Amino acid sequence: MLKKRTVTKSQEYAESIINTVREPLIVLDRDLRVLTASRSFYEFFKVKPKDTVGQLIYDLGNKQWDIPKLRELLETILAKKATFDDYEVEHDFLGIGRRTMLLNARRIPNPPQKLKVILLAIEDITKRKKMEESYLGLAAIVNTSLDGIIGKTLHGDIVSWNKGAEKIYGYTEKEIQGKNISLLAPPGYKKEILNQLKKLQAGESIKNHETKRVRKDGVVIDVSLTLSSIEDKSGNICGVSAIMHDITEQKKAKQVLIVSEYSESIINTVREPLIVLDQDLRVVTVSRSFYDFFKVNPEETVGQLIYDLGNKQWDIPKLRELLEDILPKKVSFDNYEVEHNFSTIGRRIMLLNARQIKRVWGKERIILLAIEDITERREIEIGLEKTRKELEVIKQSADEVSEFAESVINTVREPLISLDQDLRVVSVSRSFYDFFKVNPEETVGQLIYDLGNKQWDIPKLRELLEDILPKKVSFDNYEVEHNFSTIGRRIMLLNARQIKRVWGKERIILLAIEDITERREIENGLEKAHEELTELADELKRVARAKSEFLANMSHELRTPLNSINGFSEVLYDETFGPLNEKQKKYVNNVLASGKHLLLLINQILDMAKVEAGRMKLALSNLPMKSLLNDISLLLADMVSKKKVEMLLEIAEDLPNIEADELRLKEIIYNLLSNAVKFTPEGGKIGIRAKKADPEIEIVVWDTGVGIAPENMEKIFEGFFRVDTPYSRVTEGTGLGLPLSKKLVELHGGKLSVESDGLNKGTSVRFTLPIVSREVL
Amino acid sequence: MRKKALVVDDNGNNLLLEKDLLEVAGFEVFEAESANEGITIAGREKPDVIIMDVRLPDMRGTEAARILRQDKETRDIPIVFVTASVMAGGREEIEAIPNSGFIGKPINTRTFAKEVSQFIK
Repeated sequence: MLKKRTVTKSQEYAESIINTVREPLIVLDRDLRVLTASRSFYEFFKVKPKDTVGQLIYDLGNKQWDIPKLRELLETILAKKATFDDYEVEHDFLGIGRRTMLLNARRIPNPPQKLKVILLAIEDITKRKKMEESYLGLAAIVNTSLDGIIGKTLHGDIVSWNKGAEKIYGYTEKEIQGKNISLLAPPGYKKEILNQLKKLQAGESIKNHETKRVRKDGVVIDVSLTLSSIEDKSGNICGVSAIMHDITEQKKAKQVLIVSEYSESIINTVREPLIVLDQDLRVVTVSRSFYDFFKVNPEETVGQLIYDLGNKQWDIPKLRELLEDILPKKVSFDNYEVEHNFSTIGRRIMLLNARQIKRVWGKERIILLAIEDITERREIEIGLEKTRKELEVIKQSADEVSEFAESVINTVREPLISLDQDLRVVSVSRSFYDFFKVNPEETVGQLIYDLGNKQWDIPKLRELLEDILPKKVSFDNYEVEHNFSTIGRRIMLLNARQIKRVWGKERIILLAIEDITERREIENGLEKAHEELTELADELKRVARAKSEFLANMSHELRTPLNSINGFSEVLYDETFGPLNEKQKKYVNNVLASGKHLLLLINQILDMAKVEAGRMKLALSNLPMKSLLNDISLLLADMVSKKKVEMLLEIAEDLPNIEADELRLKEIIYNLLSNAVKFTPEGGKIGIRAKKADPEIEIVVWDTGVGIAPENMEKIFEGFFRVDTPYSRVTEGTGLGLPLSKKLVELHGGKLSVESDGLNKGTSVRFTLPIVSREVL
Repeated sequence: MRKKALVVDDNGNNLLLEKDLLEVAGFEVFEAESANEGITIAGREKPDVIIMDVRLPDMRGTEAARILRQDKETRDIPIVFVTASVMAGGREEIEAIPNSGFIGKPINTRTFAKEVSQFIK
């Protein structure tokens, strides 16, 4: 009984302990089932006793206690050790979230019952841990802070002094500990410190108070102070903490700090150079890209008047206009274009966007200036515009060209066809339709081979279009012979050109079709004719040669018998070997006269032939014309007197000597004079007129004879023409005298013409001879 | 002493006519119907003048003349060509022979002997 009571008592005791401790406490039996739990346990874990007692600990609260580290503690560690303290377990609990707990476990050595009892105290150290961490952080902050953090008594005696304070004031903690804070007061500021201390003693705190303090080296600096009182455990104010920082630099560029906090991140993330100015147009801050772009560094930028930046290269009238005239009136201004030649980066076109911003925490205005370098863009734009204009011109000229081309196509006589790269007809000339007897509907858009019932499917055309043209840009005079169903067999000359279109990648093939069928026929005919002509010419040469050989032979062969005829008859007539009777003599004289006439004919025919064959050679010499004319007239004197005609010589005094062939010239004049005698009846007149007509002489042989009928005027030069007159029958003549004379005159470089007023009106033969022969021998 | 004349012509009529005309004029006339015969007679008789046709059956008269000019015995005998040829080439051919002359056919029977006599020195 006693034993039982003791047990009960001790149990009661234990239970009271359990219920008074603030920490959650749980008692487990040896099977790790919950015997009991403290009230705080229920409160803390937000569970109820009926869901807890008797449960396996791991099953508690939906098995959220099944924590590996707990199992380790209960099953492994406690089996060996009776106690275990400060076993830290971090776990994510359902009702209360992540918690860090410190478990203290006790295995009760003499359990009241045979049960093994485990006492498990659960201490939630989550808060504590956080505080510890934040404290550690705080301490680090205090120690590493650039801000000065000072602890002092209510009277201002310095208790603590961190590195930041040392840096600001120059005193080490050792040097200043125990000294009064008034040491840091510059002249005239001691009162302020006293006032501050008074305020703090009254429990007030001072935030961001800007004032001046003096450093160890005597330099007065601007500082910002935040002061608050320190209370002891009992809540009495026992000291003062001061946090301060040197704002001398910041004050110089106060805005930098503020703005940089405010917008530096923005500024630095934009790609455009950005510059922030204060209301005095001094640079507050600039973006990193500004430095990059204008090749300047922060030292020579921040705090400067914008116009003074980079050797005053920003002193741009248009910028002044924007900042000083425009902006004061407007809050923002966009796309203000400024072109300027910067010393660092050369000529630039910039687009300025300006914004005036009222600072959120102050009255000051700031100007945000975004600088967009549009130099390249403008260049590109200008280039684009130029290109666009050029293109327009090109397009226009292309239009003109195509119009021109079209008109060319339609005006050329040759059929012309243009194909696209798929060999489909793009357009054809009017002449194409005419020539191939097709109409536009069945032509344009068709594959060339399909045109006109596939009559264009010509192997040689395929070869040209598919094999040759892809390799060459042009091809001329490609001959194709084809039997067209509409127009029959044709020989065509194809000229092809590939043209790349200006406005696209398409190729166009221009195919000019020249129908050379007729031409070819003519060419063939011509060639044949030419061959025949050549043959004929050869033949003619051969004939001419043969003729002149024949003539040479003939004259020889004819003269040889004539030599006998004339010779023997002459000897007979001369009665060299005995006298002839009258009749005999008359007959032999007839033989002799006929022989002589025949000889004259032969000679003149031969001369004509020689002249015509170009084989008459002149033996030129200087001839005294006056005496020569007289000599010839004497030769004819006998004949003239017999005929009872009168002969008149009119030879100019200044008639010069000329270069001529003496024999031939005599022959000419003799022929003409003898003609005049022959064709002039008794009592008529004949005559010679000779004069100088520089560079020639002119000789006229005239008569008052039978004249020449106009219809015979041309015949007289044909040869063997003898005007049928009563005289001609009785007159010996060959009919070759005049034509031969004309030829001989011409051979000398002169001219011969015959004039007659008509039948029985007399005849004048006028001829000229050059004084200096043009004949080169 | 009568002058000796050699007449070389393949045409019998010409030969006869020329021989008659020369004999009438007092020449002693030798006749030949070919060039070779003429050359032979010329060598043997050494005539004062040779009257030669240009066209001869065995060679041209000018060719015979060159042969005669190469022989010491006949080199100086004047040669008078009698030809019907009036072509220039024929005359040049004759002019190339030294100590030679030319009488065209048909001959003038009234002047023939006189013309021939003029070639004899």
